[in-house]
Amino acid sequence: MRPYLLLAPLILLGILFLLGVGNALIQSLGYIPAFGMTDLTLEYYKQVFSNPTLIASVKVSLVIAVVSSVLAAIFGVLLCAALVMNGYVRDRIVQAIKIPILIPHTIVALFMIMFLSQNGLLARILFHMGLITAQDGFPMLLYDTNHIGIILAYLWKEIPFVAYFVLALMTSINSTLGEAAENLGASGIRSFFHITLPLCMPAVNKALLIIFAFSFGAYELPFLLGATIPKALPVQAYVEYIHPDLRHRAYAMAMNGVMLLITLGISGMYYLLSRKTERMNGEQRG
Amino acid sequence: MVSNVDKRKSKILNIVAYGIVFFIVVPLLVLSFWSFAGRWPWPGLFPVGFTMRGMEELFSKSANMFSVVTSSVLLSLTVAVLATVIGTMTARALVFYDFKGKELVSFGTILPIIIPGTAFAMGVHVVFIYLGLADTFIGVVLVHLIYALPYTVNIMMDVTAMTGDNLEIQGQVLGIPPFRSFYHITLPLIMPGVISSVSMAYIISFSQYFITLMIGGGKVKTLSVVMVPFIQSGDRTIASSYALLFVLSTFVVFILLELVIKRFTARLNGI
Repeated sequence: MRPYLLLAPLILLGILFLLGVGNALIQSLGYIPAFGMTDLTLEYYKQVFSNPTLIASVKVSLVIAVVSSVLAAIFGVLLCAALVMNGYVRDRIVQAIKIPILIPHTIVALFMIMFLSQNGLLARILFHMGLITAQDGFPMLLYDTNHIGIILAYLWKEIPFVAYFVLALMTSINSTLGEAAENLGASGIRSFFHITLPLCMPAVNKALLIIFAFSFGAYELPFLLGATIPKALPVQAYVEYIHPDLRHRAYAMAMNGVMLLITLGISGMYYLLSRKTERMNGEQRG
Repeated sequence: MVSNVDKRKSKILNIVAYGIVFFIVVPLLVLSFWSFAGRWPWPGLFPVGFTMRGMEELFSKSANMFSVVTSSVLLSLTVAVLATVIGTMTARALVFYDFKGKELVSFGTILPIIIPGTAFAMGVHVVFIYLGLADTFIGVVLVHLIYALPYTVNIMMDVTAMTGDNLEIQGQVLGIPPFRSFYHITLPLIMPGVISSVSMAYIISFSQYFITLMIGGGKVKTLSVVMVPFIQSGDRTIASSYALLFVLSTFVVFILLELVIKRFTARLNGI
């Protein structure tokens, strides 16, 4: 009885969460009694997958999420290795790494606008170096279909996040096994890639899953820095949600359903893979 | 024993570490600078003059900044405290007990991180309208809680598992009632976790834009909700002033929080 009492508030909030997500799914099947829509149908999903604008939105969100989270994982691990191997773990540097966790995505968008717009600081610096002669000479990084502004903004937040997420584990592994390998004659790079990194992979993968799911489903950055056409899925879904023709709400929910399926699919894959590696490790030990 | 490995610092890794710190710090400095920048025509590297325009906008009567900041801080503090209390309760259930559905619960705690926020926000909006929670302070607190809990549960589980319940049980054996023995024995020991949990939940709540706008309907005004239209408008001086206020108010709240929690811990230990 005791554990269930302790869990009661969490379970109530969990029910609220599932009600919200479940309601989005039911509406995506065309069941919105308030608007007199009561027939269950897959029509809206079909429309999402036959409408080129909406397919483009799926692609935009996938590209942003995959590129930003993979790059963030690589550079985050590199940063973490730099902190651990060069002995900065108790240094001021780690305090600086925590700052991006405190800064919201909306303010990071402002940073990108300050530095990367065509009349931004970077363009001005390049002008003074004689590398460009006018504002047009600076590439469009924001509001463009190359999504570079959005990806850079995610990297600013997520590289430190990955480093911080992996830091404790990597510190303890490096101080025991990594240094043992080096004392036995392995070079720093070899012991990192053969010992420390493989043992850190569970934490890296977990961080990767979190930042992928977040950047795939988040609204703020693509809303503030994204192209007008095509829009990222969450932004396009909100456009449909507030459409004056209320039947568009079912499209919005179908787009949410697509996002949900993709993130749940990837989380499921992650779950299976992590169980498999756990089993393999167990067999090796046994 | 410090091995000689520690002293051999890699130059490349040094460049990586300091390079990333550079990219983190510079935007913050530029932000503070830009809050006071006057006219700044292309291609000047520095503005033509300085202005208090951003500050005047912040402190103008129409912006009503004092009440926005106060209600925003109050909302996020409410979320932070509740998320930490619920996080501690959940952590104790998951660490100290075996029960039916334990795996399901611990999987459920990470769902809000994985499921796209827009799907939940748009779905729950209608539910909240039925329950009369849309456009209310309580409604916004509830949805913020859902997003803060995955982190606070995780933090509190780590510290609870590390502390264990041996001392608390000894207290109970000696005749102290369960809650008092938690309050006076375990709570001081898990305080470092409580501090990180409160700060994490605070910053998650304080940063939310989309979900606050959806559920608060523009009636629950937080600093995030008020700031974003200025970031969108392209008036960088005013947008920077809002962002500066956001960052500074976060730091002030964190410093005060740590002071309060330290005092509280000292009082707990003193008894």
